[in-house]
Amino acid sequence: MRPALGRHLLIVPLLTVLSVFFVVPYANMVAISLMEASHRAAYVPVFTISNYTSLIESGFTWGVIWHTLWLGALTTAICLLISYPVAWQMARANSRTRAALMILVIAPLLVGVLIRTYGWMILLQDSGIINQLLRAMGFAPLHLMYNDTGVVIGLTHVFIPFMVLPIASTIQSIDPELELAARNLGAGPWRSFRRVVLPLSLPGVMAGTVLVFVLAVSSYVIPQLLGGFTVLTVPVLVIHTISELFNWPGGSAFAVLFFVITALVIWFYLRTIGRVTHAG
Amino acid sequence: MQARRLERVGFNVVTTAIYAFLLAPLVIVVLSALNAGTYLRFPPQGVSVRWFVEFAHSRSFMDSLGFSLRLAAIVTVVATILGTMASLWLTRVSGRFRSALQVLIIAPLAVPGILTGIALLLFFYTLGWRQTGLADLIIGHTLICVPYVVLIVGAVLARQDKTLVEAARNLGAGPLRTFWRVTLPLSKGGIICGAVFAFVTSYDDFNISLLLSGVGATPLPIQLFDYLRFSFDPTPAVAGTISIAITALVVLLVQRLIGLDALYFGKK
Repeated sequence: MRPALGRHLLIVPLLTVLSVFFVVPYANMVAISLMEASHRAAYVPVFTISNYTSLIESGFTWGVIWHTLWLGALTTAICLLISYPVAWQMARANSRTRAALMILVIAPLLVGVLIRTYGWMILLQDSGIINQLLRAMGFAPLHLMYNDTGVVIGLTHVFIPFMVLPIASTIQSIDPELELAARNLGAGPWRSFRRVVLPLSLPGVMAGTVLVFVLAVSSYVIPQLLGGFTVLTVPVLVIHTISELFNWPGGSAFAVLFFVITALVIWFYLRTIGRVTHAG
Repeated sequence: MQARRLERVGFNVVTTAIYAFLLAPLVIVVLSALNAGTYLRFPPQGVSVRWFVEFAHSRSFMDSLGFSLRLAAIVTVVATILGTMASLWLTRVSGRFRSALQVLIIAPLAVPGILTGIALLLFFYTLGWRQTGLADLIIGHTLICVPYVVLIVGAVLARQDKTLVEAARNLGAGPLRTFWRVTLPLSKGGIICGAVFAFVTSYDDFNISLLLSGVGATPLPIQLFDYLRFSFDPTPAVAGTISIAITALVVLLVQRLIGLDALYFGKK
């Protein structure tokens, strides 16, 4: 029995760290969201649900939540459109080409989100590279930053790798012979894609879309730097409530509420897709 | 056949454009750091190391760079040890407890980093720590770096021949000796890759650090964020170029050691 016991010692350190510094802090945050806010202390240990009720009754809150979900959905849709061809090409390439393409997709992921956002700031500003090029070609400059456009461009760029990798890995497990058979039996490229590849790659699409949506609605840097003060999202407002207004119970309640709403949206999305595919 | 070739060419044009979109901001950051003028213009105003000198003379940027490197080094050591031990455990057990723990280990990557930052800030305050700083950042970063170590080392261990370990044990080697003489040398590549990923994740992290940084404990991304909110010149591009250079090295290293391909598709 001794070796069995000894083996479990391997997990004890990490389990301790995760329990004390991950599980407990989250529970603590939920607890604080149910306490009274105060001007004198971070919170007063008195139970109340007023943090939640005042959020739910406020039209402003719902406006920000709705806008955040909309930006997330738009980003997810554009990411999917852009990532699918890249994923297909990667999955169907020989192993040398695949390694090269993989490097191109993963490299931006390893450069911090802040640096990539800064790159977009240089490109998208009113006096930025894109507008300089537009002017040089005689076009009117575009307003690309400090609005939703800039935020969606930034979010899409940052999260593409999270869409490409799961889709590529499911496409790779589809037998290429199936596509070839469909084409040889007379199906056009679009039809063979829609009837053969797309349905079989659906698990990858589902994983990718959920991942990108979660990351997009919880992003803070991009709406802050590319949206300026004009684009208000839930993470921006939560951080403002906590670190500038010092209303910890209010900020925690907003974070918990939005977490629950996001989970519901994803549950509804997965259920709908499940139904559609089973019916079709 | 002609039609299919045309399809292929069209398709490759589209994907090339997408790759250009993916790499554009990185290329722009490097160009902007090397550009002589204050703003990047076309045509560029010549190459210069002016902004690198500016960066090296900035006290706040250099302090943050040093702090970020120190933080990432500590987190790498902690995360690699915890993560490797956990991976070894995961390969040796099975059952419901194992799956639950697997979920728990990955969970810090699945929940928004910003949220974990808030939870930790509130928790440390509740504990009575009134000043955030190095210790808080080490804890926060460890949470998000361990999953990478576990995933990568786990992938490498899964490909290993289990009979080698059994053979060592049957020939009389104890568990520790087997680990040092058999398992460790065989999984060295994976452990190094895991450590490298942990280092980069910590070095580049923004979300966890935002609320946990403190006086004299500001990681570089937070310093850059504060700077960019109020001013805009190419000094941050220098930090970006350093970061891109580190990334290029990491990618080459990982590719050489275990191959990125094996990493993300699980099996060949």
